[in-house]
Amino acid sequence: MRVTFERRLSQPWWLTVVVPVCSLVAAFVIAGVVLLATGIDPLTTYRQLFDAGFIQTGSLSQTLISATPLAFTGLAAAAAFRMKLYNIGAEGQMYMGAIFGSAAGLYLGSRSSSSAFVIAAMVVAGIVGGAAWASIPGVLRAFFRTNEILTSLLLNYVAGLILTYLIFESESYWRQTKGFNASVFPVGKQLPKVAQWPTWTIDMQGGIVIPLGAFIAVIVAVILWALYSRTRFGFEARVLGDSDRAARYSGVRVRRKILAVMALSGGIAGIGGASQVGDFAHALDGDPNGLQKLSYGYSGIVVAALARYNPFATLLVALLIGGLKNAGNTLEGPNFPAGLVGVLQGIILFCALGGELLVRYRARVHRHGAAPEDVAAAPAPKAAS
Amino acid sequence: MDAPAVSMRGVTKRFPGVVANDSVDFEAAPGEVHALLGENGAGKTTLSHILTGLYRPDEGQIALYGEPVEFNSPREAIDAGVGMVHQHFRLVSRFTVAENLVLGDRRGAGRNFRIDPGAIATQVRELGERYSLAVDPRARIWQLSVGEQQRVEILKALYQEARILILDEPTAVLTPDEADTLFVTVRKMAEEGRTVIFISHKLHEVMAVSDRVTVLRAGKALATVRTADATPESLAELMVGREIVVVTREGHVNPESAPVLEVEDLWADGDRGTVAVKGVSLTLRSGEIAAVAGVAGNGQRELAEAIAGLRPCAKGVVRVKGKAVHNGDARAAFQAGIGYVPEDRLGTGLSPTLSIAMNLSLKSFRRESLGPFLRLHAMRDKAADAIRTFGIKASGPEQETDELSGGNLQKVVISREFSAHPNVLIAASPTRGLDVAAVEQVHSYLLDAAEEGAGVLLISEDLDEILALNDRVLVMYEGTLTEADDRSSVAEIGLRMAGETPS
Amino acid sequence: MNNSLLIVLIASGVAYGTPLLYAALGELLAERSGVLNLGVEGMMLVGAVMGFWTVQRLHTNTGVALAAAILVAGLMGALMASIHAFLVITLRASQIVSGLALTIFAGAVGLSSYLGNDLNLADSPAAHTFNAVFPKSMQGWPIIGPIVFGQNVLVYISWGCVVGIWLYLSRTRPGLNVRAVGESPAAADTMGINVTRYRYTHTLVGGAFAGVAGASITLAITPQWVDGITGGAGWIAIALVIFAFWRPELCLVGAYFFGALQALAPQLQARDINLGPTVLWTNALPYVMTIVVLVIVSSGTARSRLGAPAALGNAYIREER
Repeated sequence: MRVTFERRLSQPWWLTVVVPVCSLVAAFVIAGVVLLATGIDPLTTYRQLFDAGFIQTGSLSQTLISATPLAFTGLAAAAAFRMKLYNIGAEGQMYMGAIFGSAAGLYLGSRSSSSAFVIAAMVVAGIVGGAAWASIPGVLRAFFRTNEILTSLLLNYVAGLILTYLIFESESYWRQTKGFNASVFPVGKQLPKVAQWPTWTIDMQGGIVIPLGAFIAVIVAVILWALYSRTRFGFEARVLGDSDRAARYSGVRVRRKILAVMALSGGIAGIGGASQVGDFAHALDGDPNGLQKLSYGYSGIVVAALARYNPFATLLVALLIGGLKNAGNTLEGPNFPAGLVGVLQGIILFCALGGELLVRYRARVHRHGAAPEDVAAAPAPKAAS
Repeated sequence: MDAPAVSMRGVTKRFPGVVANDSVDFEAAPGEVHALLGENGAGKTTLSHILTGLYRPDEGQIALYGEPVEFNSPREAIDAGVGMVHQHFRLVSRFTVAENLVLGDRRGAGRNFRIDPGAIATQVRELGERYSLAVDPRARIWQLSVGEQQRVEILKALYQEARILILDEPTAVLTPDEADTLFVTVRKMAEEGRTVIFISHKLHEVMAVSDRVTVLRAGKALATVRTADATPESLAELMVGREIVVVTREGHVNPESAPVLEVEDLWADGDRGTVAVKGVSLTLRSGEIAAVAGVAGNGQRELAEAIAGLRPCAKGVVRVKGKAVHNGDARAAFQAGIGYVPEDRLGTGLSPTLSIAMNLSLKSFRRESLGPFLRLHAMRDKAADAIRTFGIKASGPEQETDELSGGNLQKVVISREFSAHPNVLIAASPTRGLDVAAVEQVHSYLLDAAEEGAGVLLISEDLDEILALNDRVLVMYEGTLTEADDRSSVAEIGLRMAGETPS
Repeated sequence: MNNSLLIVLIASGVAYGTPLLYAALGELLAERSGVLNLGVEGMMLVGAVMGFWTVQRLHTNTGVALAAAILVAGLMGALMASIHAFLVITLRASQIVSGLALTIFAGAVGLSSYLGNDLNLADSPAAHTFNAVFPKSMQGWPIIGPIVFGQNVLVYISWGCVVGIWLYLSRTRPGLNVRAVGESPAAADTMGINVTRYRYTHTLVGGAFAGVAGASITLAITPQWVDGITGGAGWIAIALVIFAFWRPELCLVGAYFFGALQALAPQLQARDINLGPTVLWTNALPYVMTIVVLVIVSSGTARSRLGAPAALGNAYIREER
């Protein structure tokens, strides 16, 4: 018996939803097996995860804290990966967005009294920081044909070093130098009140706090969707992602497009960085065990892949994975070693990849042999004499 | 009576959406040259892939020399003595000739774990001399001409001691003289008792070299006849089922009519940094069809790309209706009215996973949009029109182009280029791989384009097509372009294709 | 003179570069068969943690414990690689995304962290480590003393691997076959070579090498286990394969060069030398240098002649119309 795969002639629309959902289910099943193997009861663990992620009082607010940056890095990945530009640098681009955003917040926050102005400036600064950092691999890819995977990724490490340096290893503008706490442990300067981003509270579950960043993420998703499906820019980007020879043929200025998409992707990640500072930390977090350990950038890739690079699905999946991350943090302890969340994310991505195959191809099972009875069954081929 | 060398009975092979081979019966005798004739898409290549173990039949039996066989992999077919020379060579470009021959081999010098380059080289030279297929064993494939590469493919089969050789459209890449040499080689192999299965869609070749002919049409084997008893007309009728419309072009062009394309001293580099186009100059007038003959790899593709702005010119100018076109700028080229139907339909001419509607607007979407926004409704309507007008078989304007068949793909490309009413239309191998009906349609569009005043540059490796459609014949050889004095002389064109100038 | 900066740098370069070399050699084998495996960092981390665990739990003499540790590390690496291999070879998933998934799954906040914390490996230093093989007297010889004789057995084995792989690829039949599979799987398939089998074996062996590379860090260089101990070495190894033009002998040179860069920062600090405006420079140097070399290597036309296996990154499907 053999199984072969053949291209589907047409793809029913429901397949693009059913398959990711099934991949998710499959992932939890597989992970359940892994948990059993290490002596942990999967069902209890999953219930705990779900509880801590979405049900308990305050859980949704906590989940949004994780989901917001994931939405940005997920959208950043979706924007680029769709075009076959593998921007792995969302992590570093987010750090740079945080640095620029925090600088804008600190500087303008002490000189202006208009919250709207300062926050808008922080968002713009975040975009600039992220886009600039992403332009490095962008330029290298567009003009020097250097693989963007490695360059964007290596720059993550550099960005992390810069971030740590600004707070831990220098007396930079971002560092808090006065006050007792500051001399004990390096921290970033607190943002003035005017630069701190507002939140909205829904009266449910004890009060769900929705940060400004979440709204911005939704707006970005809408813009991204419109950009790719309704504009000339998106048309050219899609052609380029499909076939770069066809893109050249259709008159696309390929190098400029590559640079533009990388900058776009980086800019989105940069807003995520600004949101980290404005929404949550209210200061630049340079601690190597802080922001840098949360790996929002890499998880964003998981989010985007599971969402099949669709901007709206990305938001949903970000919420889901955010809940997972949050639950992981809450439950961390002897029964829940760190790293389980990464394992789960990895398995989810594996299943999503495997499921992807079923969307494009159909499996066919072949019975062995094709002949009727009068030919000797399964004859051995004649060896050459 | 001896058992036939090859016996295929009731062989059926299905792919999604098409039955490539439908209960085919085929037999070939030892020492025979047996032609498999059929138009493109009739199922010849599929049948041969089954025989070589690349595909598995869904139904049917195969026997070699009377013994039933079932191949689970190409390895088993090779061990059984079946060798194939593919239309698209299966050679590793970066390896040497010797390395390609030895690949996967398990006998002779090949049985060793360690490779001995010297011994292999000697064997290659011997084989080359015996069959007039001389080639340098140490040369790397990418350094060889296409004709030489084909020799390597044949040597590969002989080196593996194939008793049954399948040649798939071998003359497509040869000059007329090289083709004649090939026929000599084929005869020699048959005289030694090997069976040669010669796949082709060209009637005169089949008549020239084969002992028997089996005609395939739409996946079915229609008839097997002795070549001596057949005529080109009888074969043609079997092959297509109706009379083929033969196009002939009278070849009168008004020398006073305005030139639409002027290429002056064009030099362009190839992909590997070598010079591919060397000082080509040509003038194309309105309503004229200039056919460019030449074996693949002599710079035709690079020339077409250079004119269409897809390749920068190191030197030289391209002018459309007197105005120079910005060098290496595809957008400027098509805005100036240069249409290009590339050889590589699905990879260059179309964006594979995008819809037909988007592909039809692949170049025009900028003009058709409202500011930065696309007018998707308008694009869809335009596509629905084109599908109707050009008879494109598709489920609708939203269908992905990579789901279409070869003929329909080409229709999408041609309908797009044609509807743009270009000043210059460059068509590179526009009918390759298409069935007869599609070929006729494409030819009629080219003629219509010329009728509307475009200058048509037809680049083709098919001499029949060149001869049928031209007002002038140009020949490309190693980057230089010459013009034939007698546009209907196969002999002269053949000489020029081989780099000779007639006395 | 053996204490001069240059000699120390070279000797450290060899030591620090050995994990890079193992990982690069493994990736080279996989890529030569046409499979791009970006999960090197993850595989190294899993090898590191499991090798360390073996040494901590196996209560026998040093030799056996270390040998077992290497074996376990290699097996774990191969196991990780098998996930990627299944996804990209059999299920034809995107090689890039699958490799990234492997890194996330196995990497610094994934499986390796899970295992390390679950097994409480961060608590104590390694019970056995790889130490220098040759006697101290030989290590004292000028120049070649510290550089050649001051290394542990893993380094010497790695030299053997470089030679072995070089011979394999250029002089043997299976080596020719795997090169064909990476250049043109269609041609190889037609010649009867089992493309799937070659790709699987080379990807798995590549994973084993990556696992050993990880163990060589926790058992030789920094003899303890910390979450994320590789610090990006896996990515540098992938880059290394590119600038070695997929040749094992150049991997050796490159690995030691980058090893030396990694050794640079602590050495300069110890000698109170300041290379750049700040310590940031020296820490970032390995990463920046990798990018610079990548750019130089990629932009030349050399790339098309001497470069990647032509079919790298593409799935091979035989029965497709």
